[in-house]
Amino acid sequence: MSKRIVITGLGVVSSIGIGRDAFWNALVGGESGITEIVSFDTSAFPNHFGGEVKNFNPYEFVTKRRFSRIGRASCFAISGAKLALEDAGINPGVYEKDRIGVCVGTTMGETQILEKINEDWVKRGVDAIDADSIPRYPCNVLSSNVAIELKLKGPNYVIPCACAAGNYAVGYACDLIRSGEADIMLAGGTDAFSRIAFIGFNRLFAVAPRKCQPFDKNRKGMMVAEGCGMVILESYDSAIKRRAPVYAEVLGYGLSCDAHHMTAPFSEGIKEAIQKALKESGIAPQQVDYFNAHGTGTPANDREECLAIKKVFGEYSRKLAVSSIKSMLGHTMGAASAIETVACCLAIKNDIIPPTINYETPDPECDIDCVPNVARKQKLNVVLNSSSAFGGNNACLVLKKPS
Amino acid sequence: MHKKRVVVTGLGIIVSNGTGKKAFSEALFKGISGVKLISLFDTSGFKVKTAGEIKDFRPQDFLGDKGLRTLDRSTKLANSAAKLALEDAGLEITESNTNDTGVAIGTTLGSVNSISEFDKEAMREGAHYVSPALFPNTVINSPASQVSIRFNIRGFNTVISTGFTSSLDAINYGADFIRLGRAKIVLAGGVEELCIQTFLGFYKTGFLAGLKDRDIELSCPFDERRNGIILGEASCILILEELGAAMERKADIYAEVMGFGTAFDPYRVNKYTLRTEALKKSIEQALEKSGLTPDKIDYICSGANSTPDGDLVETLCIKEVFAGKAREIPVSSIKSMIGECFSASGACQAAAGICAIEKQMIPPTINYRKKDGRCDLDYVTSGARSSGIDNVLVSAFGPSGCNSSLVISGFRS
Repeated sequence: MSKRIVITGLGVVSSIGIGRDAFWNALVGGESGITEIVSFDTSAFPNHFGGEVKNFNPYEFVTKRRFSRIGRASCFAISGAKLALEDAGINPGVYEKDRIGVCVGTTMGETQILEKINEDWVKRGVDAIDADSIPRYPCNVLSSNVAIELKLKGPNYVIPCACAAGNYAVGYACDLIRSGEADIMLAGGTDAFSRIAFIGFNRLFAVAPRKCQPFDKNRKGMMVAEGCGMVILESYDSAIKRRAPVYAEVLGYGLSCDAHHMTAPFSEGIKEAIQKALKESGIAPQQVDYFNAHGTGTPANDREECLAIKKVFGEYSRKLAVSSIKSMLGHTMGAASAIETVACCLAIKNDIIPPTINYETPDPECDIDCVPNVARKQKLNVVLNSSSAFGGNNACLVLKKPS
Repeated sequence: MHKKRVVVTGLGIIVSNGTGKKAFSEALFKGISGVKLISLFDTSGFKVKTAGEIKDFRPQDFLGDKGLRTLDRSTKLANSAAKLALEDAGLEITESNTNDTGVAIGTTLGSVNSISEFDKEAMREGAHYVSPALFPNTVINSPASQVSIRFNIRGFNTVISTGFTSSLDAINYGADFIRLGRAKIVLAGGVEELCIQTFLGFYKTGFLAGLKDRDIELSCPFDERRNGIILGEASCILILEELGAAMERKADIYAEVMGFGTAFDPYRVNKYTLRTEALKKSIEQALEKSGLTPDKIDYICSGANSTPDGDLVETLCIKEVFAGKAREIPVSSIKSMIGECFSASGACQAAAGICAIEKQMIPPTINYRKKDGRCDLDYVTSGARSSGIDNVLVSAFGPSGCNSSLVISGFRS
């Protein structure tokens, strides 16, 4: 691990705000992005709320022609990428395009494209499927579309590792810069609001009716949401050379697999990913100032995650600030950990921890300091971003204030 | 920096012309095609009737009877190939090695049947009646995750979706994780099942062979008659191992995973073009990182899939990279036998490369009859050929813009 990797640009599209400043102000203000779902008719479901991105004008980011040829998740990814580049002060036109790559995580990919295909198929038969829409579906289009829009020729990957995908993508992008495959990577995660996910999580009885309440004794589940988080990664030397402002250094990351169950979270696996990330980063547990939790608000996730935190941090877990921004955004699927990385960078920059909102009743099973309801001013040096996914997959990223 | 060496110590493959390394290798060198009439779904109403379908696939033969009920075809294929690979490597996952073992699988449409049927079922039956037990199959990383769950592999589990290059990219990802010291063993490869959704996708976008009346429905790479893809399906998993760990357990070493290159071509949207820049760059990078000059490549296991521009652009790239030597290097496409297995293709080609090194023999490009003046390399068209093979170049590319190349070499301590 010779080369140091830093984050120099942030792009975010979310239900609480588009762009760095709108997003951060809402986060610190403890605003919720949960509203009544308009993407599809929810009358057949017991629940009607989710975290949809509102007031998103795609034409701010792509031409009408491009927009007509891509799905919503790609549109988010391109928008996130452009916001991040602008934030980093990078004009891709002046860089060697061979040396800029894209790595995007996702859960459902261009789910809305497939949902439309399915609808035509069921209602009007195979012949009614719009052939032009087909190539817009396969999930590899997410990173391709970003590269096509920005004419980038470097490594191009989609990592569909479900709800931890953003961390997988950012981690691998760091590897690619370290090993010299690229100088700059656009990395993150994106997901569009998914009817399929909404049906599935409802059938698992994992969806909360109105609000997401991570770590609360009466938490009722997660909220399906959408969005995109993208970061600009580059080597420390490159950032210094172009006098770029640095949000954070990525010290390392850790992956693990529970090898236990497709949907049930498992503290042992979460613990393993956290410990690997700390080890690779050369950080002792007591050095962590803030733990950005996966915190979906389901009874099982929050219980297992708190158990993992106690296993890793021991006595120190009582002092460690842990919060879940999913309380405000809902669960943005493959975008979640990427958006959380954006939040962690801003937390480090501003020395403010975003809160866990909707917190009312303490749960003895989640007896951690979840920074309830109100943002907290606190000096932040090392921040950890933990995420878990279907399949029992866990990914944890370690960020540090630039020195 | 001292780099760890990565070797292949096991191979598990299930594809239309053979199940298991031995059967696959035999079929490959005999030039046996796995392309047959499709029976997995009804093709009446479609002009195309054939694919490289895996017939008589019985997952219980590999996995036993239990725990298969809710798994989809991709997941059963991936698990069965993983089982074959572990057995072939003589490897057992235990408490002492599980945290040092990972899974890296390339797939793009491996779950599309599960995703689409789940949604359609909800539409037909009502959202309250669709089975929650089928929901976990709707994440794209489900087949790979089920491999970890079944074989208790806890190190990591990653899926790469880059379309045609996915499984080659996944092999490189796995090798990278070993080189970085994050794992000692990685089950790396790809899976893609044949299903109505994938078939419809390639059919309706015009990529399949035999769509027009005058066109022959045949996978015949580099042949003048080529007019599109014959779809295939496959699961292929390699056991990648850190050299020291492999030596310590006295494993049989098939080959060494060498350099890899990848490049994106952003000047197209879902179509083959004759632009050589990106594929050429990926090949050059792979050679450079392997520390090999072009003349050291003994065989090119081609990604050509019988599409007019795809086969031609690979030919052009080979000529640009290998210059005066281009016509001397044997180039063959196993897709002539197994069809285009999409995200699983790269791993199948890598497997063919390993078999080629083991048998010192080059698999043929079958179905070749009519010469195309622009495709004028040595495509090994009259049966398998004995040849000294140390270094194999595997290439993967597609219409989406991704291009990847990997060198696999005979192992020398």
